Amino acid sequence: MDFLILAQLVVSGIAVGMIYGVIAFGYQLTFATSKTLNFGQGEALMLSSLVGLTVVQFTGYWIMLPIVLAFGMVQGAVVERLGVRQAIKTKSESGWIMATIALGIIFKNLAENIWGRDALKFPSPLPEAPIGLMGVNILPMEIVIVLGALAMMLAVETFNRRSIFGKAVVATANDREAAGLMGINTSLVITFSYALSSMTAAFAGVLIAPVTLTGASMGGALGLKAFAVAIIGGLSSGMGVIVGGLILGITETLTGFYLSTGYKDVPGLVLLLLVLSFKPSGLFGRSAIKKV
Amino acid sequence: MSLQRRMLGAFAATLLSTTMLASSAIAADPIKIGLTGPFTGGSASMGVSMRDGVKLAVAEINKAGGVLGRPILLVERDDEAKNEVGVQIAQELINKEQVVATMGFINTGVALASQRFYEENEIPVINNVATGTLITQQFLPPVSEKNYIFRMSANDIIQSGMIVEEATTRRGFKAPAILADSTNYGQLGQADLLKALAAKGVKAVTTEKFNIGDTDMTSQLLRAKSANADVILTYGIGPELAQIANGMAKLGWKVPIIGSWTLSMSTFIDNAGANGDGAVMPQTFIQSPSTPKRKAFIDAYQAAYKVDRIPSPISAAQGYDGVYVLAAAITQAKSTEGPKIQAALENLSGKVEGVVTTYDHPFTASDHESITSNIPVFGLVKNGRVVAARDEDISGANAVRLKTKN
Amino acid sequence: MTGHFLKGLGLALLLVFPFVVTSPYYVHLVVVIAIFSILALGLDVVFGYTGEVSLGHSALFGVGAYTAGVLAFQLGIGFFWSIPCGIVVAAGFGALLALPALRVTGPYLAMVTLAFGTIIEILINEMTFLTNGPLGISLTKKVVYDWRPLGDTLPFLKMALPRMREMQFYYVTAIALVLTLLVISRLLASRYGRAFEALRDSPIASDCMGVSVYKHKVLAFVVSAGFAGLAGVLFAYSEQYIAPNNFSFEQSITFLLAVTMGGRKSRVGPILGSAIVVYLPNLLSDIDQFRVVAAVIAVIALMVGGIRMWREPDSRARTAIPVVLCLGFFVFSLFLQKITDYKLTVYGMMILFVVYYLPDGIFGFLRATIGRIRPAWVRQTVDISGQGDASSAWAATAPRVETGRPLLEIRDVVMQFGGLRALDTVSIAVMPRSVHGLIGPNGSGKSTTMNVLTGIYTPTSGQVLFEGVSIAGHTSAEIAGAGIARTFQNVQLFGELTCLENIMVGLHHTYAGTMADVAVATPRARREEAHATQRAASLLRFVGLEAMANEEARNLPYGRQRLLEIARALALDPKLLLLDEPAAGLTAPDIVELMAIIRKVRDQGITMVLIEHHMDVVMGVCDTVTVLDFGQKIAEGKPAEVQADERVIAAYLGTAHADAA
Repeated sequence: MDFLILAQLVVSGIAVGMIYGVIAFGYQLTFATSKTLNFGQGEALMLSSLVGLTVVQFTGYWIMLPIVLAFGMVQGAVVERLGVRQAIKTKSESGWIMATIALGIIFKNLAENIWGRDALKFPSPLPEAPIGLMGVNILPMEIVIVLGALAMMLAVETFNRRSIFGKAVVATANDREAAGLMGINTSLVITFSYALSSMTAAFAGVLIAPVTLTGASMGGALGLKAFAVAIIGGLSSGMGVIVGGLILGITETLTGFYLSTGYKDVPGLVLLLLVLSFKPSGLFGRSAIKKV
Repeated sequence: MSLQRRMLGAFAATLLSTTMLASSAIAADPIKIGLTGPFTGGSASMGVSMRDGVKLAVAEINKAGGVLGRPILLVERDDEAKNEVGVQIAQELINKEQVVATMGFINTGVALASQRFYEENEIPVINNVATGTLITQQFLPPVSEKNYIFRMSANDIIQSGMIVEEATTRRGFKAPAILADSTNYGQLGQADLLKALAAKGVKAVTTEKFNIGDTDMTSQLLRAKSANADVILTYGIGPELAQIANGMAKLGWKVPIIGSWTLSMSTFIDNAGANGDGAVMPQTFIQSPSTPKRKAFIDAYQAAYKVDRIPSPISAAQGYDGVYVLAAAITQAKSTEGPKIQAALENLSGKVEGVVTTYDHPFTASDHESITSNIPVFGLVKNGRVVAARDEDISGANAVRLKTKN
Repeated sequence: MTGHFLKGLGLALLLVFPFVVTSPYYVHLVVVIAIFSILALGLDVVFGYTGEVSLGHSALFGVGAYTAGVLAFQLGIGFFWSIPCGIVVAAGFGALLALPALRVTGPYLAMVTLAFGTIIEILINEMTFLTNGPLGISLTKKVVYDWRPLGDTLPFLKMALPRMREMQFYYVTAIALVLTLLVISRLLASRYGRAFEALRDSPIASDCMGVSVYKHKVLAFVVSAGFAGLAGVLFAYSEQYIAPNNFSFEQSITFLLAVTMGGRKSRVGPILGSAIVVYLPNLLSDIDQFRVVAAVIAVIALMVGGIRMWREPDSRARTAIPVVLCLGFFVFSLFLQKITDYKLTVYGMMILFVVYYLPDGIFGFLRATIGRIRPAWVRQTVDISGQGDASSAWAATAPRVETGRPLLEIRDVVMQFGGLRALDTVSIAVMPRSVHGLIGPNGSGKSTTMNVLTGIYTPTSGQVLFEGVSIAGHTSAEIAGAGIARTFQNVQLFGELTCLENIMVGLHHTYAGTMADVAVATPRARREEAHATQRAASLLRFVGLEAMANEEARNLPYGRQRLLEIARALALDPKLLLLDEPAAGLTAPDIVELMAIIRKVRDQGITMVLIEHHMDVVMGVCDTVTVLDFGQKIAEGKPAEVQADERVIAAYLGTAHADAA
């Protein structure tokens, strides 16, 4: 019985953690190319999944996916154009932080006005009855979440390594100035990385929507948690976000069960502070050599 | 839309008053009444339903010639469910807009933070939705000479008492688990539930907490399950309640859910789907045309706001009734001065027929609750709607339940 | 003079306001604005001066408020005691928040503050036994002091006092605001303010000037948190009810917006910004008022934009966009029917507009606009004419080494970066009062040596002895304190500080006064500041930059920047001065001047290590020269000997590996 409970908690933690991981992966994409990230990532996820909710009624779940991914890309590009480009140009740190937060606020308000303020049910493409695996209950959708998140990250990584455009992304990530001198249109690459980043958020959004709920306020908490994951895992390591996500997801459910549900969020945040204090580049991150 | 109608109304009112009574010829300027609640954010569906119910009643009253021959003018403010915004709005409504009374409050915290200003300025507050027991007791004599805070909703003591009564006495559960959200709504309710359980000599096997926005309830439910709970008592709002129901389905663990009135929120019903069927909760109003008055109200609401199901029927009904009670008090006081309205509310002579109940002396100096524990009935979630858990509760002689006098 | 007049006017306005405006609504509004201003002024220390984004200030605000709340609720302790308690507790939390900030900046630091804020919010919510949890705490505004007896003494007071008593919370808040302004202004004008800006502009240079980045970052957070605590206490008593959700993440954004919109790095800005953000919800709930304000903004934008287009025809297109946006905003307000639903959108658009077109805030914009027309009105200058002489430029003590022993000794130092061995068992001895040249092709390990010497890198193995004491592994600030100063290959000035202030950062070590001295402006603090100004002026004269004392360092021509860097390094009163390619990018006349300066510095008994590619400089001033190639020492000796060395020629001209500089 006790072991079963532990197993059940870990399984739930994994599903939640993979979502954190895939959103955190989105942070990594933009941070690599531009040293900025979208504080409104949670809202990107929210907006895409609400768009998905509207589209899904006409097309069904699987055809909706590419449409939403495309929407996510456009949304990401818009964020970059409106919120980040200017700040990168003027090298203003507070600029992009404030601007992406502002865009997040605007997206959320628009969503409230279009889809209403209540949480909405997202139709599940798979049966909603749990599958029993050795006494542990899993929703079919949870399996899809884990596999989908992994597939998404793998696809983006492969794209970055194999395609010529992906190589430009990697080059920009390594040294923006040098890449610029080599004739790479770095600002286009940055826009593209934002598009990719929002696309992963969009994907995460429609993956979890059938399990959680969709609604204007779904993004905020997720974006924050994923942020913590990105920092814990390191903003430069793909492996890091997966492990970071799993750590956070599992700690949350375990703390909730074994300690107190009221303090569920605390260990994750404390872990975050510890990581930042002792290994600021993250558990899996590489630390750069200071150059003077 | 409103300017023309307002002018028309004012014109009609002026005409009426001048022909009837020369002495009250100043009458035409409107009576300003504040209306505050969360119209944006997580609890907006309750705020908006309440607002719409209030507006419906005000439109009807103004159409019928207003109060004291003057139309009612609502000053709406969105408190965003934030305490400090509520405080700001209170100051604005009192000092800048100079309202005669305020209808309001969905969130107990906002009510507790803002009511002080109304009390200090002797402006009556009709609390339409917030249920925190403390709300009407903040300024009970002797703390303050007169209490200006009145309530139209069933407070937490009434609700928790009913929930516990239903769970233990009527249905015989022995091991309740409490799941409450971490806001003051959930925590105040949890405290009241524990008290009510203690009075019955039953101990909660576990009390769990969850945050607004939580989507995974596995930990909480597993704790309840491993404590061998046979019923779940809830105090939270729609989306998270739905996650509880869905989480239970996922764990393949099914025990009944009994909880506060928020189990009737559409966000619970829609999102829990079949998993939410069977949940019961105290309701002061069920969207069911069990009396002509209720039918008229539901029809009017549906027509005015083009919806089939009222997002939060209770909020709308209580808001609607609140306006009529307030209007009756102003009429009786023949004045728009706060102290006189307050006195009239505490001693309302005529009966006011509302949709929740018929208000016959709803308030006294020591009792500012219009709802007593006999008025709410149990609602039951069934096929995406809230119906009466027991049909006999809302039919025949039971259809309109009157406040008990003591 | 105008400054004093404006300050007096502001004070008078604060004093008479409750007599002019009697509506409690507006009085309360002003109280809240004052409270937000106190917090925003404190936030500006962190955000404007040290340049770090804090998303945790609402938590610090909450800590202050809850200190007051818990004291009153649990212990029955009243308002006046809760003020110092609130400040101290919040400052403590500020220190706690800053500790993980040891090694992080930018988005990481923002994340730390965000996590910190969330944890505090959860703790307040969960620690019911202390904070009453989500139910919140009610407080009462007791009569602080009954003034009535005073009223009998003077007929005028008899009229004024009842109102003042009624409004005494207003006055308490007003006094707190004035004191905040005073203390913060003094602090930021002092060495602390300069240190905060220095660590923002160049953390590495700050450390190398003995101004510990870590210590001052913590200090900035502590000060800022203290004011947040003060604001929190006042807020608790002004609202008389506090609950955990008062202190959410959104509130932090509001505070940041107040500072950004009002204008960073100013006193007026945060107050202006606070007024806007406090009034904003009211504005956004009243469509008519909103339209009027939108119209006013459009008119102002048209006027300012018109003037600017007329004066600067080149940037017409760029100026036109914000003007069109403002006009569009007004048109949008006309079409808007239900403002409540869209108020967050309006709020977000305002943030965006500020980020884009008012990066320095409204006050910064005003200052710049006025500065364009009447520069003298807005420029704050320190007059140093007549100050400074050659004698007070120098204060270095003689090195403590036995005769014949080196001042600096590098023994078998290895510096390994992953697979790259940047320094491979290098040993160098620098004799006191000499100029020691360090040359070698690019990538030979010269700058690495410099960084090892100043504590930026810790050597993988080997020893570094200064005055016979090991300094390897010590922090840059400690090494600077021991008497080693440096300049940088890529100039690391504090760009937004003036030349004078740059040097005064270097003089940080000459102060003994504490922050308390600065806050109360004790004679000691004034004396030290005057003394430092005198010395800074002297050093500016020494490098011939006295005419540019009040110019921001970033506006200097490159050659002058290098000279300023040398003067700043000299301000540290070093025994050893490390010059990293001082002649790079200099014109021929500049180089001559530089060589004269180096000789003068040597005449003061200061030892120097000089990295340089210009051989005439090396040959002209160095006593000894060490040559590095691929991280190894390949030659050492008198300049002429080294110049003739075969391996040196090979390394430079390339026999096997052609990599000439």
